[in-house]
Amino acid sequence: MSKKPEWLKGIIPAIITPFTEDNRINEEVYRELIRYLLPNVDGIVTCGTTGEFIYLSNKEKINLLRITIDEVKDKVPVIFGTACPSTKETLELTYQAMELGATAALVAAPYFIKPSFNELYDHFEILNKVGLPLILYNIPQCAGVHFKWWTAEGIAKLENVVGIKDTSGDIPFMEALFEKVKDEVAILVGHDEVVVAAIAAGADGAILSSANVIPDIWREIYHAVKNKDLDRAQSLQTKIQKMVRIIARNGATQAVKEALHMMGFNVGNSRLPVMKGGVFRREDYEEVRSQLEELGKIPRKDVIFDLGNGKKIVSKYPAVPETPDVVNNFTIRTGEAFSGPPLSEVAHTDLIMGLRGGPVDEAIEKALKRPDSKSKPRIISHRPKIMLVPTVTIRTSKQESQVFKYAAEGIIAAVDDSIKMGVFPEQILDDIVIVVNVFVHPGASIRQRVKLNNYKAMRAAIRKAIESRPTIDEIIREKEAYRHPFRYAP
Amino acid sequence: MAPKLLWLKGIFPALVTPFDKDEKVDEDALRKLVRYVLNDVDGLVPCGTTGEFPYLSIEEQRKVIEIVVEETEGKKPVVAGTSAPATHQVIDLAKNAKDAGADACLITTPYFLHPSSKGVYQHFYEIAKAVDIPIVLYNIPQTVGAYLPPEVVEDLSEIPNIVALKDSSGNLTYTLEVIERVEGRIDILVGCDEVVVPAIAGGCSGAILMSANVFPDIWQRVYKAVLEGNLEEARSYQMNVQKLTRIFNRYGAGLAVKAALNMMGIKVGKARGPLKIGGTLPHEVMAEIQIELEKIGKIKFPDIKFSFPEGEVEHRFYDIGLSPELIKKESFRVGSGIFGDNLERVQVDLVAGSKNSYLGFIYAEQFTHPRHGYEALTAILEPNLMIRPPTLIIPTVELKNLRQANMVYGPGQAGVSKAIADAIASGNIPLKVVDDELILIKLTVHPKALNHHLLYKNVYQATSKAISEAFVVTRR
Repeated sequence: MSKKPEWLKGIIPAIITPFTEDNRINEEVYRELIRYLLPNVDGIVTCGTTGEFIYLSNKEKINLLRITIDEVKDKVPVIFGTACPSTKETLELTYQAMELGATAALVAAPYFIKPSFNELYDHFEILNKVGLPLILYNIPQCAGVHFKWWTAEGIAKLENVVGIKDTSGDIPFMEALFEKVKDEVAILVGHDEVVVAAIAAGADGAILSSANVIPDIWREIYHAVKNKDLDRAQSLQTKIQKMVRIIARNGATQAVKEALHMMGFNVGNSRLPVMKGGVFRREDYEEVRSQLEELGKIPRKDVIFDLGNGKKIVSKYPAVPETPDVVNNFTIRTGEAFSGPPLSEVAHTDLIMGLRGGPVDEAIEKALKRPDSKSKPRIISHRPKIMLVPTVTIRTSKQESQVFKYAAEGIIAAVDDSIKMGVFPEQILDDIVIVVNVFVHPGASIRQRVKLNNYKAMRAAIRKAIESRPTIDEIIREKEAYRHPFRYAP
Repeated sequence: MAPKLLWLKGIFPALVTPFDKDEKVDEDALRKLVRYVLNDVDGLVPCGTTGEFPYLSIEEQRKVIEIVVEETEGKKPVVAGTSAPATHQVIDLAKNAKDAGADACLITTPYFLHPSSKGVYQHFYEIAKAVDIPIVLYNIPQTVGAYLPPEVVEDLSEIPNIVALKDSSGNLTYTLEVIERVEGRIDILVGCDEVVVPAIAGGCSGAILMSANVFPDIWQRVYKAVLEGNLEEARSYQMNVQKLTRIFNRYGAGLAVKAALNMMGIKVGKARGPLKIGGTLPHEVMAEIQIELEKIGKIKFPDIKFSFPEGEVEHRFYDIGLSPELIKKESFRVGSGIFGDNLERVQVDLVAGSKNSYLGFIYAEQFTHPRHGYEALTAILEPNLMIRPPTLIIPTVELKNLRQANMVYGPGQAGVSKAIADAIASGNIPLKVVDDELILIKLTVHPKALNHHLLYKNVYQATSKAISEAFVVTRR
């Protein structure tokens, strides 16, 4: 018998929970985000994993549900996460959800203490009595329990279970669900990296963390698959795959919040222990920012580059809230960035930029007069003038090509793209000179990675030099928790 | 069944397999290695994981065992590794080992394909039936990809010629579980160098160890101390080699042990490919091995001449182009701090000033002209988290190896950066300085500094003092 509801399909964001500076729910921004999402989505999941349900009190969750229902105004279904460690608490929250008018409850396996599979079944059998439609939520990455297909099948037979959300990314598991219960309940994919595959294979929709950021693109992908235009769907997914991979794997909550922040939503940060610069690393921030710049999701503003020699340039700059309105003091600006993986091919670029004729330029000219050696710094670009300085003494020709060919190619490509994006305006190319210290590990093998990592690091280092990042606030906030990779004995 | 003759007690080195320049088994080196360890061990284990058994042909395995047996002259038992994925392959290898004179053979859980518990039992059962040589079971989940199930060990322990289990997992809950299950029918030996003391104290009869190639004498003392109940003594020996065993375990076993033996003058050649120094064993870790060997007296500390900068602090920046007159004329801030004792004593000499002053030129120049062995480094708290004001750290003692570089750029850099971050937070470095000024730090670290943690703390203290002198005491 099919219990699959007509309303449970399409693209559904697992909405984040915005917090204020003092860590309270920011209702105003939350409503603003719902309004941003509504035109492009088929439902809203509130208090899901991306919504940090686990860091919210039940009172806060109920409050969020109320606001969501109020702001959505029946335009789309509102699905509410009710998972708690114990059956009793989950049951109470699910009852409350029904009373308040949630369309359905999304229920992850009880976590921390891991129940057996018969206990899991009993848990859902008890919740089934509430009468609210239930969506079983498989998220082994967090709950620590990966539902067996036969457990999911059994639970799917309960009369009020209307769907299964699978966030595992385990396509063989999902295929087993299609085989067993596809006609009875809706099957939704929750892993952002495999959406096209899952929907093409038969999933009814997707509940996604990255749909907070790019609901429109996901909607296009969903409809392309449903209209059997797989080429279109694949090319769209490929275009966003890198960003989606970073978000899904590197702390969905904070990652989505930082992406939204870059776009101008004042959503705040995750609650501790998730922190800025933590599981969503600074290199992820820079990479997501580059992706969003390319997708045109970061608003542009006029930034004045005041070179101090009477020359002032205005650039249409893809600006985040921290981007200054005026960039000046070009005597020496510094920028540093690191990018991996893998271990041997990491890039660490460390740059200073300054004015032609200034101290940086003078240092370049002096370096050119030094005796020749394999490690002697080289000019790798004339416009802007860039000198590449190898951080590790070069001993072999393999090292030499890794540094002066592959790393250099990455660096030049990063400068080109920064120019294209308006981060490094075309009009200052003749005024600014750059010295970049490049670390390539002597054990580096994969040339393509050396190039790409240097590209990523250089693009970030330029941005950071222009924006004077990290800020003092960032340094002070992280000065106790920082993890220096070489500080410890092996 | 008559009680088995259980004789696997004490310390057994899992011998490396020395290779010559053409990657052939180096007989002379192997004999030399056997002679080096023989007096301090209770038996020898050629062709184990440390002996790179997956990279040896059956002929090479035979040759290695024959050499070890011959050089041992029957003084100590030889337990030869005879592992392979398929049952019939192991039977051939075990017969071969017996013919070569081995006293027992050591056999891992079957690898690559993962048979069920039934298949694993049948594997050992068939081998035990087919060969006339005592068998040591070998649990090494790190390489096999699966544990040898404890219930299977319980049943295998009833087979007459299965005499022992070597457990390399390092997982003491597994070790104690099998000790309890086999009820003394077979010996359990620990194969993880990092947990020897607790394993033997917990009931293991001995240890088969990769690091017993390098310091069999220390392990013999550990073993005796535990048996005599001198746990405090045993622990202190274990702690003294803990870092070195961790390095061996994590950075390629045979590859890392070979590096250590080569440093000690027992030339055993390279590991076979794909393993290499610079890959599984990074160069900087090589240098750590050297220091640890010096610490336990297996190689000598070479004399190193160096000194801490002395005299007026303004006189300590000549080499980067700053004279006392210039420092005075430009009113640069200077400060110095010394902290700690002995090998971890640290000195920090600091100069700071405006980006738009002559210091800007010095900063750019140091950044652009790395002096070999004295490469300057921008201070960061961690990658992607640079400190402000921009700070360059310049080592004053030539960095001759990667380990020394690691000490300066690791604990050294972290200590400098944390001190600056704290000084900004406390107001010792005024906020307006952050955008306008630059800092240059000359950092003096003893080239033989041993303790990362202590070095970090000392650099932090010395930097804090230098900051205080430069920014607070002489604030202008």
